[in-house]
Amino acid sequence: MSPRVCKNCGGTDIDIDQARGDAVCTSCGSVLEDNIIVSEVQFVENSGGGSSAVGQFVSSESSGKAPSLGAGFHNSLGKESRAQTLQNGKRQIHHLGNQLQLNQHCLDTAFNFFKMAVSKHLTRGRKMTHVIAACLYLVCRTEGTPHMLLDLSDLLQVNVYVLGKTFLLLARELCINAPAIDPCLYIPRFAHMLEFGDKNHEVSMTALRLLQRMKRDWMHTGRRPSGLCGAALLVAARMHDFRRTVKEIIRVVKVCESTLRKRLNEFEDTPTSQLTVEQFMKVDLEEECDPPSFTAGLRKIKIQQIEQELTKKIQDVEDEIASYQDEIETELENSRPKLKGMYASLLKDDSLDDSSSLTSGIHGESEAEDEELTVASNHLSKDLYNKMQQKNPESVDGQCQPASKTPSLTSLLGPLPTAASLGLTESIKECIEDKKESKENGENGELDLNGIDDSEIERYLLNESEIKIKTELWMKENADYLKEQKEKEERIAKEKELGIYKEHKPKKSSKKREPIRASTAGEAIEKMLEQKKISSKINYDVLRDLNKGGGTPNHEQDGIIHSGSAKKSATRRRSTNNNRDISTPVSNMGKRLQPLISSQPTKKIAAEQVPGSQATPVESSKTVLVESGPVVYNEEEAVEEEDEEEEESCVSALQLIGGNDYGYEMEEDEGY
Amino acid sequence: MESDNDVALDIIITNVVCVFRTRCHLNLRKIALEGTNVIYKRDVGQKVLMKLRKPRITASIWSSGKVICTGATSEEEAKLGARRLARSLQKLGFKVKFTDFKVVNVLAVCTMPFEIRLPEFTKSNRPLASYEPELHPAASYRIKNLKATLQVFSTGSITVTAPSVQFVATAVEQIYPLVFESRKTAR
Repeated sequence: MSPRVCKNCGGTDIDIDQARGDAVCTSCGSVLEDNIIVSEVQFVENSGGGSSAVGQFVSSESSGKAPSLGAGFHNSLGKESRAQTLQNGKRQIHHLGNQLQLNQHCLDTAFNFFKMAVSKHLTRGRKMTHVIAACLYLVCRTEGTPHMLLDLSDLLQVNVYVLGKTFLLLARELCINAPAIDPCLYIPRFAHMLEFGDKNHEVSMTALRLLQRMKRDWMHTGRRPSGLCGAALLVAARMHDFRRTVKEIIRVVKVCESTLRKRLNEFEDTPTSQLTVEQFMKVDLEEECDPPSFTAGLRKIKIQQIEQELTKKIQDVEDEIASYQDEIETELENSRPKLKGMYASLLKDDSLDDSSSLTSGIHGESEAEDEELTVASNHLSKDLYNKMQQKNPESVDGQCQPASKTPSLTSLLGPLPTAASLGLTESIKECIEDKKESKENGENGELDLNGIDDSEIERYLLNESEIKIKTELWMKENADYLKEQKEKEERIAKEKELGIYKEHKPKKSSKKREPIRASTAGEAIEKMLEQKKISSKINYDVLRDLNKGGGTPNHEQDGIIHSGSAKKSATRRRSTNNNRDISTPVSNMGKRLQPLISSQPTKKIAAEQVPGSQATPVESSKTVLVESGPVVYNEEEAVEEEDEEEEESCVSALQLIGGNDYGYEMEEDEGY
Repeated sequence: MESDNDVALDIIITNVVCVFRTRCHLNLRKIALEGTNVIYKRDVGQKVLMKLRKPRITASIWSSGKVICTGATSEEEAKLGARRLARSLQKLGFKVKFTDFKVVNVLAVCTMPFEIRLPEFTKSNRPLASYEPELHPAASYRIKNLKATLQVFSTGSITVTAPSVQFVATAVEQIYPLVFESRKTAR
């Protein structure tokens, strides 16, 4: 309000009255402004005597459309779709975030991420819950809270990998670099859950040190951080004389027993495990180890080498035996001079044939089909070797080396990549060149019969008799399908003639059921339950009795219906409270079914007169929500989704009966 | 051009996927009835799976004449297998033409002689690299212009998928220096 000058008299003394909204010049009395916009709060008296402020709440995200319909509409009427999406998302984020115990700042950040995602159209084609979970997890990562993706998937009952995929996509699209997970973050959380009491801090510190040791020993790359935490905590607990069984740890950390055992074994292999407790606290070993998978690979190679060495040794031993045999035989033969001559001639004949086979046979493995043959050949070659050595010591080296423990091991041990690599790089180059040549054929469209063995291909095709047999078999097997196809064709042909034919694309069969007409609520329940098989855990008999005996133990129903999920009963209570608030014209028939399976029996029964008011029509009971009148099972449930959103997906009672969309999800939950 | 040092790396191609068109309508039922090694899949998008033994190849054949061929270990083999397949279809009586042959995907494996620190590697190569130990033990690295995806494991082995063998080689060459930086030095 800058000091202004009166236009008439030029006076500067201007009186501004906030209440009237006027600006008046005090010297000449002329009104300079009228209806000034005022930023004051005004109060209005209520019917009850209290006073309330005048005004409307305007959302910071909403666009120009101000809801001018009145003050009572607190829900998404009249807003545009984008605002609705954002509001819905915000609600879901808060709901999930509270379950995870995230603070307000995190939730706001998550909502910002969500807004960005929506503006980039990343919510299209994805379930909203997945996107929300991904936003929340992104916040957890950036803030460094000890929440795992597993936790989120537990809450939502969704596959971890599906969530992970969404999360990765989100992080990439929003160009947000989530810092890597440090298993140390999870230690305080798990330690707290394992209840170490006073020594909690000490155990945590020990576990941290263990983890750092594991990191140095390369156990943590590529592994789930929770598994490592579990192993570290187990050892730390034992070190401080706490007995925590493997099962307890598994429950807390959420890994499999075998994973935990494997981690412990790997840790055992590291040199650190040899230290005692005190030593570990003081000393930190300098050495680092290889990652376990690498050592496993090396072990395999070593085993192979050892096997080869062993086979060599076996061969040598056999050779020795053979030589002994030989000596004995020669001694025997010395007594028979004639044979010796024949033997010698045989040797000379065979030597030419054997030499080629021997060289291959010796270097290879000892696949002795006939041991005698191999032994004989070895022994022969030995003789040959000895003979030849006497004559040409040089020429032998390249060919037969039966007795020597060949250095072939070193050639195997040696730099593995080099030997293969050279060959392969050449072949790759060849491939590249060949590609250019073969381009010509493709353009013609003619089939180049180069290198195609026709006779082999003929074998792939059956001959006539085989075809007949196969045709019969196939027809029999697929008889039903063929019938269907025929009928379909006939139908289409008829419709074409009549001109009605429409192209029916395969639709997902929308489960539209007829509304159930029943005279009593009990009947209605029965019919509904017949149509829709919900859960084996519901005691249908009790459900039927609901109407008859109003005082029947409804607590039983609690136990039966909400088996094992306290959360649901809590939400159900909430929802029934909500129902009371919403007046009857708004609440639909479906909501009236709720009191049947509700968990607020006593209060309701006192208020309602259940047995008496069965037949009375709807309008008579306004304040009391009774299962009165014909229970019509409407498809208007879908419209009511907006109202029900407050209760969200946890309101299983309603969804069990009503909303088709939630039907499946709830079934899964029930099973848990 | 090749990787530094004298050590050359061995790249082993494990799978080559290719497509081709026969430019004629194929009667799937006939193929199913008259072939020895065929599976008729009615469920999702009617197709016939035909398996060849000589180059070990599995081909998905659609009635429109489009064929996808998988399981070959080299580009040559893939082409040979595809031609074999077309020949056998020809023998069945269809007027088959061998057109639009294209190698679509090549999968190869390569081992580095050193181990790799994945968190380090991911940090220095954002946003092309991504590593989620909770989900998968390898870090994945994408090269956009080559349309290649590499999965880097901490043991030093790398899996590469790219549209052709040459791209695979280029991708390995590109990644070698990056991976070399984050290698685990000798203790």
